[in-house]
Amino acid sequence: MWQRILIVLGKEVTDNARDRRSLLTALIYPLMGPLLLGLMISATGKVTVGGDPSGMNLPVAGAEHGQVLVQWLEGRGINVVPPPPEIEKAVQRGDAHVVLVLPPGFDEDFAAGTTANISVVVDSSRLSAVVTINQVATLLGEFNSENWGQRLAERGVDYRSLQPVSLETVKVSTGTQISEIFLLMVPPLFIFNLFMGGAYLAMDTTSGERERGSLEPLLINPVERGVVVAGKFLATLLYTGVAVVVQLIALKIAFGFGGEHAASLSDAFGIMTVLGILLITFPLMAAAVGVQFVIATVTKSFKEAQTYLGLLPLVPAIPGMLLVFAPVHIHGWMMAVPTFSQTLLLGQLLRGETVSMVHVAVSMATTLALTAVLVTFAARLYEREALIFGE
Amino acid sequence: MIDVRALKKTFKSVTALDGINFVARDGEVTGLIGPNGAGKTTALRIIYTVLKPDSGSVYIDDKDVGTERMAVRRRLGVLPDSLGLYPRMTAREHIRYFGRLHGLGDDDLEQRIAGLSDELGMSDFIDRRAKGFSKGQTRKVTLARALVHTPHNLLLDEPTNGLDIASSLAVHNLIRNIRNEGRCVLFCSHIMSEVAKVCDRIVIIAGGRIAGAGTIDELMEQTGKHSLEDLFLALTGERGA
Repeated sequence: MWQRILIVLGKEVTDNARDRRSLLTALIYPLMGPLLLGLMISATGKVTVGGDPSGMNLPVAGAEHGQVLVQWLEGRGINVVPPPPEIEKAVQRGDAHVVLVLPPGFDEDFAAGTTANISVVVDSSRLSAVVTINQVATLLGEFNSENWGQRLAERGVDYRSLQPVSLETVKVSTGTQISEIFLLMVPPLFIFNLFMGGAYLAMDTTSGERERGSLEPLLINPVERGVVVAGKFLATLLYTGVAVVVQLIALKIAFGFGGEHAASLSDAFGIMTVLGILLITFPLMAAAVGVQFVIATVTKSFKEAQTYLGLLPLVPAIPGMLLVFAPVHIHGWMMAVPTFSQTLLLGQLLRGETVSMVHVAVSMATTLALTAVLVTFAARLYEREALIFGE
Repeated sequence: MIDVRALKKTFKSVTALDGINFVARDGEVTGLIGPNGAGKTTALRIIYTVLKPDSGSVYIDDKDVGTERMAVRRRLGVLPDSLGLYPRMTAREHIRYFGRLHGLGDDDLEQRIAGLSDELGMSDFIDRRAKGFSKGQTRKVTLARALVHTPHNLLLDEPTNGLDIASSLAVHNLIRNIRNEGRCVLFCSHIMSEVAKVCDRIVIIAGGRIAGAGTIDELMEQTGKHSLEDLFLALTGERGA
């Protein structure tokens, strides 16, 4: 029996390896998501770089009016540089992220103990400027509170009595980069690809074969229909597996784009994690192919199958997409829900959290059970007379 | 030998076969002819195991089509109504695929493919991919595919449809050779001159029933007609076809 399954498998793999559309869905589509993520990571990697502002070049107009501030900034390691001509246009163009404008009389007002004015020219719609703007705002805030505290102390008041709370942000994730939010985007992307990778093959080998009129001659051979289904199923599973592996490699590369500042991201795709992902999602690959087979067998035409199988990957990816915005606390029952359990486990693996072996076992067992039901159903559908002739 | 007994098949409200009996003997070419929609293709599909009859039975060399499907399929070579090929596979790969599914070993198989390629005149396209094959080339590939395992019984649904004269003659010769080897051929065609030339016996089917069976001479005598066309119309016309 296995020999005949291998004959069908070999034929489908070779046949589809010659098909541009099958190769596209298995080899090229999986690269799209990682490519996009890579670009975003590389962009935000630059944005989030550097909490310490020292070494920053800060253009200051009218530096001669505010020597107190300039000296204080230079004391913090900031390079105060001359402003560009036409300050506002330069900021709009992005030549400078922030320009400080000190009006005449700044030093005099400061010395007099009154409020001295500063203009800060920024373009807050520019994402890349956000970090610099925050850094400058923090610096100016520090300058303010230092001098404010000093002035109060000179008047015999403890400034702390005017400050009921002191704010300090404690980060709880294992890493430190904002870009780790991208890890949350991986599970839905991964699941989408998993349901896409073999879709073309599933259609070509079932409804495609019927529409070409090659199914009837095939089924007259002395081969059980279960053998034909098994060969086609395994070929589709193989293409799905290729798509998944291609995407994992692409993700590993993409998560390296963050450079040293996002080291925790490229660590997220260590070899053990990748193996864990493959183990946890293998049953889901089989289930995905099972669903594809059932759909491609019950639909009446290739076009109809194409419509449904094109939409199919969105459905299992939805929970993962929602989890990006609203993470949930994991409960045992969730592991019995195929696709949802893999979404959660994948997230845990990528964040470097401890994954419960019981959860993995429940997830794999329930998904494999679903696969068995789907494959049996698909094989039953193959036994129907309507399979060959349509209805 | 193909032995068809009291075969009935209904599709929803349409009765396709209403109890047909006939025998296609070894060493003979039996022509199965009838007007469009008479039930020929349904009968063939039941014989080659992809449809199940509502009642009645078919025996292929004493193997029951209902209960010994795999044994039946091994004894059958079928050129079915649907001639679909895989556009990205070569003619040779098509024949090889079916040969392997029939359990042929590699050496035997390659020899057999070379032989069929010669016999059917396929050498100039045997290693070309099927996309863009002419109707004649397609029919030759499907015919070679049906013959690859040297089946004892051959079911041919319009085997020369789309073939040029030379290729049709090659197919006729092939059919005669198979008959002369003592094998059984069941042949469906709409071309009466071809039926007259190739078939030893004919079975005429109309409205899901057998309208007549025997050698052409026997049927002419029975109907008092002097041509196959006339006797065909006389026999099928009785049933208003």
